[in-house]
Amino acid sequence: MAHKPEYYRTDLWVDWCPGCGNYGILTALTQAIAELGLDPVKTVVVSGIGCSGKTPHYIRVSGVHTLHGRAIPFATGIKLANPSLTVIVEGGDGDLLGIGAGHFVALGRRNIDLTVIMHNNQVYGLTKGQASPTLPRDMRTKSLLKPNIQDMLNPLVLAIASGYTFVARAFALDVKHLKEIIKQAIMHKGASFIDVLQPCVTYNDVYTVQFYRKAIYRLDDESNWDPIVRDPSEEYEKKMKAIAKAQEWGASIPVGVFYHNPLVPSFEERLQGRLRYYIENPPARQSITVNGGAPLIDDRRMRKLFSKKIVPVRSRRPSD
Amino acid sequence: MSLRELKMVIGGPQGAGLETILQVLTTALAHNGYGVLSGREYHSNIIGRHSYVLIRVSSYEIPRSLTYPVEVLAAIDPETVFTHYNDLAAGGFLIYDIGGEDIHVGKIVSMGRHLRERIEEELSREGVEPIIKELVNYLESKGVKTLGLNYREIVSELREKYGVPPAKLVRYTSSIVVGAIAGLIGLDAESIHVGFSYKFAGKEKLVEPNVYIAMRVAEIVRKLYGAPLALEESRLPYTEYMIVSGNDVVAMGKIVGGVRFQSYYPITPAQDESFFLENYERLVVDGEQLASIVVLQTEDEIAAITTAIGASLAGARAATATSGPGFDLMVEGLSWAGINEVPVVITYYQRGGPSTGLPTRGGQSDLFAAVFSGHGEFPRIVVASGDHLEAFHDAVEAFNLAERYQLPVIHLLDKFLANSVVTIPVPSTHDMTIDRGKMISHVENPFEYKRFSLDGPVSRRAPLGHAVMWYTGNEHDEYGHITEDPVLRIEMYTKRMKKIELADREIPEEQRAQLYGSDDPEILLVGWGSVKGVAIDVVEMLEKKGIRVGYLHIHYMSPFPRRRVSELIDKIGLENIIAVEHSYEAQISKLIAMHTGKMIRKEIVKFTGRPIYMHELATAVSRILDGRDKVVLNYGA
Ligand SMILES: Cc1ncc(C[n+]2csc(CCOP(=O)(O)OP(=O)(O)O)c2C)c(N)n1
Ligand code: SF4
Repeated sequence: MAHKPEYYRTDLWVDWCPGCGNYGILTALTQAIAELGLDPVKTVVVSGIGCSGKTPHYIRVSGVHTLHGRAIPFATGIKLANPSLTVIVEGGDGDLLGIGAGHFVALGRRNIDLTVIMHNNQVYGLTKGQASPTLPRDMRTKSLLKPNIQDMLNPLVLAIASGYTFVARAFALDVKHLKEIIKQAIMHKGASFIDVLQPCVTYNDVYTVQFYRKAIYRLDDESNWDPIVRDPSEEYEKKMKAIAKAQEWGASIPVGVFYHNPLVPSFEERLQGRLRYYIENPPARQSITVNGGAPLIDDRRMRKLFSKKIVPVRSRRPSD
Repeated sequence: MSLRELKMVIGGPQGAGLETILQVLTTALAHNGYGVLSGREYHSNIIGRHSYVLIRVSSYEIPRSLTYPVEVLAAIDPETVFTHYNDLAAGGFLIYDIGGEDIHVGKIVSMGRHLRERIEEELSREGVEPIIKELVNYLESKGVKTLGLNYREIVSELREKYGVPPAKLVRYTSSIVVGAIAGLIGLDAESIHVGFSYKFAGKEKLVEPNVYIAMRVAEIVRKLYGAPLALEESRLPYTEYMIVSGNDVVAMGKIVGGVRFQSYYPITPAQDESFFLENYERLVVDGEQLASIVVLQTEDEIAAITTAIGASLAGARAATATSGPGFDLMVEGLSWAGINEVPVVITYYQRGGPSTGLPTRGGQSDLFAAVFSGHGEFPRIVVASGDHLEAFHDAVEAFNLAERYQLPVIHLLDKFLANSVVTIPVPSTHDMTIDRGKMISHVENPFEYKRFSLDGPVSRRAPLGHAVMWYTGNEHDEYGHITEDPVLRIEMYTKRMKKIELADREIPEEQRAQLYGSDDPEILLVGWGSVKGVAIDVVEMLEKKGIRVGYLHIHYMSPFPRRRVSELIDKIGLENIIAVEHSYEAQISKLIAMHTGKMIRKEIVKFTGRPIYMHELATAVSRILDGRDKVVLNYGA
């Protein structure tokens, strides 16, 4: 059952500054959800804190607006408890790579089937423009008192190194392209990461719409660019190529899919191997009671489960 | 003459097999019907530092507390003899290795300088040279019976007999200790066999050589002394026992309670609980897999609490387990769970703080942390268990309360309980119900669902995947969307806060505070957590001396049993009430004052990280009766 994107929008007032790149991301995400025909009840958008963190409220699927930096672990719990849900994470660059960097890395190691969309505006928007981990050193955006003293982190390289199996970049205002990337990322079974270049019109006067329009080029346009790992033996080479490509920044900035490896087992598959029936009967859907309220693990079952802990007392001597 | 009860200390370097000795002896004793309680003390170290178990065995009750002096001190190494020689009762037995006779205390660097110097000083005051041989002579002169065995020689028999390679022989030292104790008590071969069979289930090849060594030593002891510490035939009514640590019972309770998601980040003394659960990740009974539990080791405690919250939003019974430093990290998530009315259980094992203070020792100094941490105001339930059986039931109830009131529940325990092993009757699930509160799985119109409907303190809760809903850490409307509207703020805030008032009305106060001992006491001890066992023992002891004493066990810290506690205080009079706690501040008296306006000024506290022992609590109570206001306890190595 296909719906128009408007079907997936709430009627709330959108909180962002006029012209903010977040509008593009919101539009692309709603379109992607619409085109994939996702069931709003079975879809959850989980966000962190910041301007970007408000995204879930504008989309009519379930939304969980969490804590600064913690969207990934919240999403991890939701997804592992019920892997039949489609779970999408929205976070700022400060959120995912500053306070939440540990969780960002952990998701790669686990390769859980989550899609992480990073609103990369190189600043902390909602706290008024401080430098985020993606702002290059010596750069000075208009809200900074002094040039940035810290080095920047390359989100794509970090994602690849951490184990994400789908790694891409897109531009917030190229809605059509971003939408396609989001769709691919959602369909990918494993941890996906999209670095979305998002102009912050209020605080970032360096990485502006004009700047990006000039610098950006599409990886698709490169005749021999193929990011997909089709055999495990290709993994190393494709990773290295993607990492090299991800170094390009400044005058020319590539967007598109950098790395896509569908061969790594997802965390859900790993759990299925250990737990059996995990996918068909996940934690959130199991019944824990019998007869309307008694524990599923009753006395008899408890004794069997814990028999190694139960010691019988030997019968008393007959003299007793 | 046979004994009604027996206490033993068994010590040695960490990693030398104390765990084995404890399990084998406890199983063998339980097999004979005896009640056993043991506490375990160890350094924050994996191999080499001194650790010991203190065991109390009884033929007429399941021991509730530990106490000194002991009738048996069994030493794997010389350090144990030096550290514990003072713990021995006159007429007690020392089991030690004569291979270490010439060791001087100054040579034992694993011991720590302060203790070494203290012991040297102590012994020199008695005119004893601090060498094992001299110390043994001294103890003998004081009436201690000593049992020197050559450990190395004894285990070397296993070379020819069972082909044990020389490098593995030391692993059998623990069986020497088991055998020596079995000899003193008069445990027979069958009991020892049962003990080792339980311990080495699945590794049967190890049973025979261990039993062999143990029985060899038992025979030596029998020839020398007979069975001088034979226990009376057990009078306990049980036909079976469950042998469990605190970590074990909580995990069992969680399994019965229906946990389906447990996340954790390793920290002592909590991690064993999660290990236990991981062993049961597939709940298979009679070949049928009834359920499965996802046990996730997260990247940190922040992720531990937030993944658990996420799993709960999706509808799974979810929990995490930690101790002080980990709980600190969870606090932001706790507040989020508070404003979002998320049922989630945090099992909180206290240890000695602040910071990593005494990481492997116990304490109760996190009461305020459990009750008050978190920014903003939100209701939470805090339950503190006093013993193993209570911990089992509380673990189940914690989930029920979390779901009934849709809020975070902190289940407060401590290291003493976590690491003590006890024989308990197999708990029953008979009267238990699983209460999922207002959980619904079908929503008429999934687009019109109000997760936070304002028609009462507790709204209908549909898991994610059953309706469209929103959650946010910001103040929100009934749908879960952000609002800063002052009128809505009042309504939503009040709705949340009303839950604790509801819980206060619904959970009987008798369940939240229990009175033990005299129901018309002249003197009242007040405490919580693992003070329970030792306090009840002291109450019984004093009652035998004709003093009417009671122990008020505070079981729920929130909602606090205000009326009951207040009435009791009025009846007994503040000047006759003593707070007992493992802390400096006696935090419980402040909590009581906060809720009742009545401040208990007399207190007995301990913050060495070691348990409160019965003998020292009894003495402390009499000192308070003699007019002191505060006694600080300090017994234990
Ligand atoms: C633990 C914690 N620390 C700090 C904050 C304050 N805070 C609110 S928004 C924000 C910055 C968000 O920046 P970013 O993640 O880049 O998102 P943006 O606003 O740029 O979309 C911060 C630091 C917070 N909410 N929580
Ligand atoms: S501050 Fe920047 S990121 Fe935030 S809404 Fe305004 S333009 Fe967008």
